[in-house]
Amino acid sequence: MSKIKNSATSTVIKFEFLRQIKKPSFWISIILIPILMFGVGLFSYLISSDTASIVEQYSENSTIAIVDDASLLPKEAPFLIDGDLDTGVEMVKDQTVDLFFYIPADFATAKNVEFYHISEGIDIFGRESSTIKAILSQYLSQNLDESIVTAITGNFAVTDNPLTSTGEPSNALGRAIIPLAFLIIFFLFVCLFGNRLLMTVVEEKENRISEMILTSVSAKHLIVGKIIAMCLLGIIQILAFVVPAVVLIFLFRDDSTISQILSLIELDPLNLLLTITLFAFSILFIIGACTFIGSISPTARDASQFIAPVMIGTMFPLYFMQSFFVQNPSIMVEFLTYFPFSAPIALMLRSAFGTLATPQLLIGIAEVAILSILIVYATIRSFIKNAINFNLALPAFLTKKS
Amino acid sequence: MKKIVEINHFRMDFGNKTVIRDLSFDVNAGEIFGFLGSNGSGKTTTLRALLGFYTPTSGELLIDGEPYNPEHSSITVGYLPEERGLYRKETVLDTLTYFGRLKGIDNPVEWSTKYLSRVGLLDKAKEKLEKLSGGQQQKIQLGVTIMNNPKLLILDEPTKGFDPVNRRLLMDIIDELHKKGTAVILITHYMDEVERLCDRAILLKDGVAHAYGTISEIKKQFNGKSLDQIFVKVYGGENE
Repeated sequence: MSKIKNSATSTVIKFEFLRQIKKPSFWISIILIPILMFGVGLFSYLISSDTASIVEQYSENSTIAIVDDASLLPKEAPFLIDGDLDTGVEMVKDQTVDLFFYIPADFATAKNVEFYHISEGIDIFGRESSTIKAILSQYLSQNLDESIVTAITGNFAVTDNPLTSTGEPSNALGRAIIPLAFLIIFFLFVCLFGNRLLMTVVEEKENRISEMILTSVSAKHLIVGKIIAMCLLGIIQILAFVVPAVVLIFLFRDDSTISQILSLIELDPLNLLLTITLFAFSILFIIGACTFIGSISPTARDASQFIAPVMIGTMFPLYFMQSFFVQNPSIMVEFLTYFPFSAPIALMLRSAFGTLATPQLLIGIAEVAILSILIVYATIRSFIKNAINFNLALPAFLTKKS
Repeated sequence: MKKIVEINHFRMDFGNKTVIRDLSFDVNAGEIFGFLGSNGSGKTTTLRALLGFYTPTSGELLIDGEPYNPEHSSITVGYLPEERGLYRKETVLDTLTYFGRLKGIDNPVEWSTKYLSRVGLLDKAKEKLEKLSGGQQQKIQLGVTIMNNPKLLILDEPTKGFDPVNRRLLMDIIDELHKKGTAVILITHYMDEVERLCDRAILLKDGVAHAYGTISEIKKQFNGKSLDQIFVKVYGGENE
């Protein structure tokens, strides 16, 4: 019998892994979602760049200053100030302007604009490039040298120089890149595997397999095997997403924007450790939540009624993403940070944007970790209790001990 | 005689509803034991409690002297439940092999191939289960049940939906296992099967044993009537 015990989990893992990976739907979803995300990103970029509305939008919400040493803009153009680079930087430091663009005299050859703003977290999201391009194309001086026009209409770089509120250089974007990458992977995992996880547990009941399987293997080994198989599938999904991205970054590593982003990446060991820990427990939590729903539901139809609120709750912080950028979060943000279902994404967002102190982050991680372990335990117990609950007429929880 | 199953003062309540009031019986090693009762009398509930799916309200249910746990049981158990199915989207061979590995048999692929050959389904080995007829699927379920050469075989209405040919095949398999020393608990509504196969039986009514003993003892208790007549006498009033 020990032979059964030792090999049961690995047998379940192998079976569940192979049967999922053989399904065309698994590969279609893995390929489709990154393509969709890329499409949405591209669409968003296309509609956000090169429009006069960006100038209006930013000038309404922020004060803009430009020092133009290359004389690209006519003297009557808005936002132009007298002075040099230091003047503009000082204005940002003393917060008399929000966004400062410096166009150097050698713009035609350097093809670069310097951008300064106060940022403890991330609040611009690459819009500086669209903003200055929109300003230049809207107010450009006539009779400019052809090489300058070519540089402006071409792909010139905007070097982001974020400053802290004390005027020190800030690398909020660089710090956010790795946590945001984990957030994207978590999001993809939930989208791709939420329903699959549910089905893999509810299937045994729906197809009346529970009794036959549970006289061959314990519920603990069955559920743990399924969870590990799903994690392995998740790793394949992550690789399917990350490997092409790494290849693309490698191929275009000389591109000015990509090389600038790569140079910004900041790998603080403590932050990296916290990010990975949060990510791992968040994955375990969502797996636990989905399998728990599968374990209490007699059919897929019943399960689908429960899974929708869980998914909405998990994704909820993304609908209010801008609220997570600010240093002084609202009560709603604080609530979402510690509310069980929204906590994983809320914590990842605040961790990425630097709006959560390390002790608070540790509390959040501990909460997600405890919840994830509890929910996996509850799933195993619930699977045993409800394994033969084929309809809702006689729920197994009514079984009582004297 | 070694007792392979012991059920002592078993009571099972679901909320306010009592399904089993006080049930005690034993099953000896190597015997075929008929577990009889009308629909809803609590036969399946008793087996589920014996296999650990339900926690009894009171009493104890033991297999080889211990509460059953598939991974710690000292004897091999095969269970063909009343509510049964398999992974519909998987192939016949993959399904049999999977269960074979879970049950710890030495060469599951070889065993599965031999079994499929015996039951005339070798050509269906690579087919998905959903492509098989109901009777063919039941043969696969039976294969899963007996593949670990069980010392205790529990069959809950095993011939339900079987045609006469498959019913005969099942009886042959039960007979083979019985000759190898397997104890069988058989739930069935076919009294001819009970008379032909079973050494002892129990009739369950109102949550207690209405009759219990060898087939001849039970018949004697009811003045020598056939099991069919006894069944109608005991349970006939329930359907009126």
